[in-house]
Amino acid sequence: MPGDAQFAAQAAAASGLALRTVKRAADAVKIVAVEEGCVLLVDASTQAHYMEFERAVQETLGLFSSRLSANHIHYLSSGDIYEVPYLIQSPLFGNYIHRNFELDPNVGTYFGRILGATLEDRAFGCERMVKPGTKVQTIQLRLALQKQEAVEAVRNYLVALKFQSRMATVIANAVDEILMNAIFDAPVDSMGKHLYESTSRATNFALEGPRAVDLHVAFDGEYVALTAVDLFGSLDKNKLLTSISKIYTEQEYRVKSSVAGAGIGLASVFHSGGSFFFASESGVRTEVTVFFKRCDSYREFKSQFRFLSTQFYF
Amino acid sequence: MVNIIKEQKGNSITVRMVGSVEESVEFEQLIGPVTGELVVNCKEIPRINSVGVKGWIKYFQVLQQKGVKLKFVECSTAIVEQINLISNFVCGGSVESIYVPFSCMGCKGEFIGLFKTDDLRKLKFQVPELKCSKCGGKAVFDDIPEEYFGFLER
Repeated sequence: MPGDAQFAAQAAAASGLALRTVKRAADAVKIVAVEEGCVLLVDASTQAHYMEFERAVQETLGLFSSRLSANHIHYLSSGDIYEVPYLIQSPLFGNYIHRNFELDPNVGTYFGRILGATLEDRAFGCERMVKPGTKVQTIQLRLALQKQEAVEAVRNYLVALKFQSRMATVIANAVDEILMNAIFDAPVDSMGKHLYESTSRATNFALEGPRAVDLHVAFDGEYVALTAVDLFGSLDKNKLLTSISKIYTEQEYRVKSSVAGAGIGLASVFHSGGSFFFASESGVRTEVTVFFKRCDSYREFKSQFRFLSTQFYF
Repeated sequence: MVNIIKEQKGNSITVRMVGSVEESVEFEQLIGPVTGELVVNCKEIPRINSVGVKGWIKYFQVLQQKGVKLKFVECSTAIVEQINLISNFVCGGSVESIYVPFSCMGCKGEFIGLFKTDDLRKLKFQVPELKCSKCGGKAVFDDIPEEYFGFLER
């Protein structure tokens, strides 16, 4: 597809990878079978493209082969996330890249930093995903109700950085959602049962010890990265992908009284123009990072390049 | 946190909500019992989070079921985004007017202009340019028309 080659070349250069381009999925999978440390950028424009890739993996390696981690597969698609259920439901889903390169010809270089992070043993820490030398600030939340203060602080910080006030509000809302998930959805007991599933999100309690939640904020002059960190590592990939790709523009949103959360926060953040990077090590830690570009207009902000990356470690 | 300014005229109550709608907002306590008509002025709602959306729909759905006539006026950009994202956000009510975002081509200042939804339909979403109140430059609509005005075509 137009732009793919340039994007891939920039991303490879920025992440220190050698780039090889092949036309058939089977040829790419054969390379993975014999070479270590491969990352795949797969044209998944249509379901047929995806199925060709899945078949090639199945025939050459097997779907659950240790030679190919879903963390290292990046699907390029022109469709919005809710238009590609075949990717979301795939056992080989790792990363989705929405192909809108035209507004920023150097977006591959930006994504190369993200790609570079996925090559590490554990892709934790947003500092490696922004320009080198960018200062990362940390807000430690020690009470659940400190969330709103953190959200307002981020909003004010972004306005001071000359983000349009509407952009700053949208990003503040994204912070609200990722913090709310870290505070209320992440905590689980030793059996994996969610501790605050039905607890009102207006409840205050201490965020101490394993319940501590941190927010990291980094702005590199172009992109702002905001990371919510929890110490449970309880993120469920299937639930995450289902909720983030759900839209309610046609179907009705039904209020579930059995749970206190709304289940629409991440989807609305993604729709508003943000990109997501989820890194979760089971039972240890989850980091959810949102990225937004500072744009001259809101129209550009909303149309910005987007990706959804999931890195799960077991 | 939201503050409510309430005005009653006959069988119609107008409420002006001021503040961000999030988990602490208790609509039933803030607005109280309603019969007849409820006009909700959303001008001063700068932000609404997902739990705020859930509480909003839960509250207004009950009013819808009771037969209360709901009207939403002066909807802020944050509210318009939710109306577009969630098909049942206004719970059968009507959206009378919305704020439309503008950006100055000269000084890059942000503006909002109030439009009646009926007028926007007549304009076929071709929003006229405005004059920037700061520098006098040309201010143009600053969003994606098919998305921002999408709800008007439902």
